[in-house]
Amino acid sequence: MEKKGCLLPLALRDFHEGRIWLKEYSPFSKGDIEKAIHHKHFHIIEGIQKVPHLKCNRCHNTDPQQFTTFDCSKCQQQCIYCRHCLNMGRVGSCTQLMIWTGPSAIRTKKHPLEWAGQFTVLQQQAANELLESVKVKRSHLLHAVCGAGKTELLFPTVHYALELGLRVCIATPRTDVILELFPRFQKVFPQTTIHALYGGSPKQEGYAQLVLATTHQLYRFERAFDVMIVDEADAFPYTFDETLQRAVQKAKTENAPILFVTATPSQKLLTAYQNKSYSFIPKRYHNRPLPVPRFDALWSYEKNLKRGKIPRKLKQWTEDRLAHKEPFLLFFPKVELMKIATPLFQLLDASILAVHAEDPDRKEKVLKLRHEEVPGLLTTTILERGITIKNVQVAVIGAESTIFTSSALIQIAGRVGRNADFADGDVVFFHHGITTEMDDARTKILYYNKKGFLQ
Amino acid sequence: MNKIETLCLLCSQPLQPVISWKMLLTNHFQPTICDKCSARFEHSPTATALFQYNDAMKDYLHQYKFLQDVALAKVFRQELYARFKNEKAIIIPIPMHPLKQRERTFSHMEELLKAANIPFIQLLEKTTTETQSSKNRVERIQVAPLFRLMVGAHVEHKQYLLFDDIKTTGTTLRHASEILLHAGARNVQSFTLING
Repeated sequence: MEKKGCLLPLALRDFHEGRIWLKEYSPFSKGDIEKAIHHKHFHIIEGIQKVPHLKCNRCHNTDPQQFTTFDCSKCQQQCIYCRHCLNMGRVGSCTQLMIWTGPSAIRTKKHPLEWAGQFTVLQQQAANELLESVKVKRSHLLHAVCGAGKTELLFPTVHYALELGLRVCIATPRTDVILELFPRFQKVFPQTTIHALYGGSPKQEGYAQLVLATTHQLYRFERAFDVMIVDEADAFPYTFDETLQRAVQKAKTENAPILFVTATPSQKLLTAYQNKSYSFIPKRYHNRPLPVPRFDALWSYEKNLKRGKIPRKLKQWTEDRLAHKEPFLLFFPKVELMKIATPLFQLLDASILAVHAEDPDRKEKVLKLRHEEVPGLLTTTILERGITIKNVQVAVIGAESTIFTSSALIQIAGRVGRNADFADGDVVFFHHGITTEMDDARTKILYYNKKGFLQ
Repeated sequence: MNKIETLCLLCSQPLQPVISWKMLLTNHFQPTICDKCSARFEHSPTATALFQYNDAMKDYLHQYKFLQDVALAKVFRQELYARFKNEKAIIIPIPMHPLKQRERTFSHMEELLKAANIPFIQLLEKTTTETQSSKNRVERIQVAPLFRLMVGAHVEHKQYLLFDDIKTTGTTLRHASEILLHAGARNVQSFTLING
């Protein structure tokens, strides 16, 4: 970047390439930024676009409810700001966004893949299909049951793209999934700079050719990635929040293919890809059928818990797990109910813990369960996907609640029996009445088992 | 600023619009936060503040002042309106240093009053850009004068009411009221949003 006597830190280029960033919030000094702007290394755009309609230029939010007008003391005018992406630093009509247009970062083509695993026939076939799609820049849907080894399937494709010098992003709506994927990718790509981006992630040095990010973090990128992989593409809030879907589109380059990876694709995704580029794995990598959930009535469980009593069946189930020393997860429909129930379960075993979305120790608590330091966890739907714990047993309390959609229930059932040594386990849906979503989840699991073991 | 909120300003859950005779016939503002968020705030038992400082208030101040979410000025407009509507004294919000205000892009105290339709005037000027919250107790109390009168300000022999966001040691309010009393105010009282 030594041009006309200007000497800018290389880190500035490495950081800003592909990003759309608030001018005031750059991690680099004001002087360096001004110098870079002077040399036309940045394209500057206004934060809020007013014509043809209001639009935040960072998160592409267009909902008029999400904008607020006020008298600005900085520009002495009426300013509009976007409340949708406020947490990432406020974007208003008098703030400037910078997009790097200077020299490109240096990408290496040496990315050795250190992975000695073996694919099953089905996995190999899906991995090949995925790779084919990336080669011809075609979007693809990979539909594989929980525990089919989806992450491993991505290795050949990611490897291929990195060695071509492409920039790859693996995005997912869940922070927990990022935390789970990051060490696995670091291990198999030991010489690749990988960044993991999520709310509250630490500062990471260098230029990452492989980025693992929550879909929220993609608001901060623009035309950055040559291959975009969306893991758990059906999870909340991705399907719920349209701007997140737009963020995926804007964070990739124009022709970059999107690979959707999920165990529970929405009907919309299925119809879009089923007939053109679609891979389906109905079987787990260890070749054993998926555990089928059983339904067990737990009438008025909420009332009982609020009275300070664990319903008999649930108590029995928990005591059995404790007696057999099997780790367990208890899924609750609401945080409030879980908080009421926590002390009751701690009477059975004092070391049982509870986690929910806003829990600052949620990372540590899951690790404790994995290291067998705690016998079990009470949780909300945040742990429904992306986590693997050996020999875990699962119960859903109040499976009839609206939050437990069929895909949530399939994901929850998919936590069980993922390890080849413990390929079976108990999945029980305790309910106050059976819903169609519960039936749907069970039917689908039975269908996958039938598909997978037909031959 | 006068649009009707359909989502809670704090948790983005849909708000159930309540239409009542009271709302239609009296000067009542539409709520801007949901019942659940509103229950997290703790009313103050003192007569000189509206709320007690707690976690909910900490989050609120962070989003309002640090993340510069001006829309949150509306959250307490009903409570502020109820407190100030029959106020005889002249209301003066504690000013920010002009540089600080340009940095934050708005004066958080003035916006609170504007959102509640409360008339106010300004006679004071902040002299330092240092914040009280960056100092310890002794440093706070022994600080050099924080305010001076604005050029051309005319202090009448009347009652004044100072309005600030949070009171911890009371130094800010003491400094401001001394200036006003010295310039001829009959009486200076103070009121804060939060009791620290």
